[in-house]
Amino acid sequence: MKIKQLQLNNFRNIEKIELNPDNNLNFFMGNNAQGKTNILEAIFFLATGSSFRSKEDANLVKFDSRGLYLKASYNYQDKNANTTLSYEQQKGKIIKINGKKPGQSNANRLKTVLFIPDDLFLVKGTPAKRRNFLDFVLKQISNEYNFNFNNYTNILKKRNFLLKKEQFKSRSFTIVNDLFIDSAVKLLMARLNYVNILDASVREIYEKLNVAPQQLKIRYALSFPLDNGKINLETLREKLSKEVAQRNEMEVKKRITVLGPHLDDMHIYQDGRLARQFASQGQQRNISVCLKLAELESFNKISGYYPVLLLDEVLAELDSEKRQLLIDYLLKARFQSFLTSVSLDKINLSQAAIFTIKNGCLMRKE
Amino acid sequence: MRLARPLENLIDQLLILPTIGPKTAQRLALFILKLPVGEVRQLAQAMVDCREKVYPCPRCGYLTDVEPCIICRDESRDQSILCVAEEASDIIAMERTGFRGCYFVLNKNFNLMEDKGLEEIDLQPYMERLQSGKVKEVVLALNPDIDGEILSRYLAKITAAQEVKVTRLAHGLPVGGDIEFADELTLRRALEGRKEF
Ligand SMILES: [Zn+2]
Repeated sequence: MKIKQLQLNNFRNIEKIELNPDNNLNFFMGNNAQGKTNILEAIFFLATGSSFRSKEDANLVKFDSRGLYLKASYNYQDKNANTTLSYEQQKGKIIKINGKKPGQSNANRLKTVLFIPDDLFLVKGTPAKRRNFLDFVLKQISNEYNFNFNNYTNILKKRNFLLKKEQFKSRSFTIVNDLFIDSAVKLLMARLNYVNILDASVREIYEKLNVAPQQLKIRYALSFPLDNGKINLETLREKLSKEVAQRNEMEVKKRITVLGPHLDDMHIYQDGRLARQFASQGQQRNISVCLKLAELESFNKISGYYPVLLLDEVLAELDSEKRQLLIDYLLKARFQSFLTSVSLDKINLSQAAIFTIKNGCLMRKE
Repeated sequence: MRLARPLENLIDQLLILPTIGPKTAQRLALFILKLPVGEVRQLAQAMVDCREKVYPCPRCGYLTDVEPCIICRDESRDQSILCVAEEASDIIAMERTGFRGCYFVLNKNFNLMEDKGLEEIDLQPYMERLQSGKVKEVVLALNPDIDGEILSRYLAKITAAQEVKVTRLAHGLPVGGDIEFADELTLRRALEGRKEF
């Protein structure tokens, strides 16, 4: 997926920007609070309908304006598509894809991978961070996953409610428990399959980005033991049902669901040892970078095209050698990237499109 | 600015209606002011009449002013196929598809998160319908949300225990949407594609 045209009106401190990004690397340079991240935020907002920096849509409207308007035109697999997003306090948020309110299908939706400094803690951080990582990709790839994910969240809420109210003997609980197992199994299967693909992608990237690579391995870690052997929906369902039954006493006592995909993790091993515990901080960050890049590669392996990479302020967090390796990787990559940084210090950017941004105004550097 | 008391009162009354905000309430009130007084009286009378005379049919749940209702007294309808819905308004949607079976509305009192479990649903009238022996197939037309799914599974079990075939509307309904708002075509398609539970 490549963005051919981007338009921002009354977004944050930007009154109006129209730009035709480069197919490969677009570099936005500017001091803090000048608006460079706003461009990435706008793309992400168009793609997902929410911002990664603000929960309130109203905060995104330029202070002296009534509403904002964004538009991106992009192509993928020889298809052209566009997304527009308008927001006004009174009318609310209106997203249109190819001029129509998007239905369930997300085929023409703009797809992104967002990479912010916080993602450098992907390896070191909590399991929730790694689950969110998996869910974000899978939701973009598959409508069905998106639907199942919402379903599961909803069912889990009801299951926990019934456990809390000590209604585990009610008719409702039996049915909710069946639904819980059904939807859990679907999520688990999708995540297990995806992590296999991710594992292969991350290894390739890791070897490219490291001079003396160690062995890297990624495994999906369930909240219950799974025997080796054939894993499919049936075996998973059987196993999970058994595990749920076994933990009945514990759940009755704790009055909460004690297993399921909402408690799972993704284990990352470096030379056979858990990277979260044994890798150095530098190594952990390095693996996190590889994971984010693998997000793009695995997306392409599954869907046949790449999302757009949005990389915000990450360069400053890397040492100069790693920074250059990353830039070189992006310059050779088949996907389109949007990067922000305060300066070009010690970066060799041969074929990139460089924009400077000041006070919400954009200039292309020739 | 103060409005005349009766005008203000009318606006307040209109505001209790769903989807009516202050602006619309005011517009409606001003419109009513311009109508001939006879027409306003008719409008008011229609509201009162409707509220006093229309109630759910005790047999099937369809909104009626006679007993049994026009659906229940229609002998040309297929007694062997019973459609189970959550609300009387769902029947109106089903009727538009040309469905010629009979209905049963669960006067639903089921909301898990408000502590109303499946035990709260009065199934006596439903069981009576099944035990009459006329019903050969039950079509579950419940909303495609989680509560609808829980209800469907529950009813499917009970119905199957009476050795009656159970089908449900096929997906094709907008996910998370109410049946009431499904357009005729999707509903008809869903009905044709109903699957055995
Ligand atoms: Zn009736």
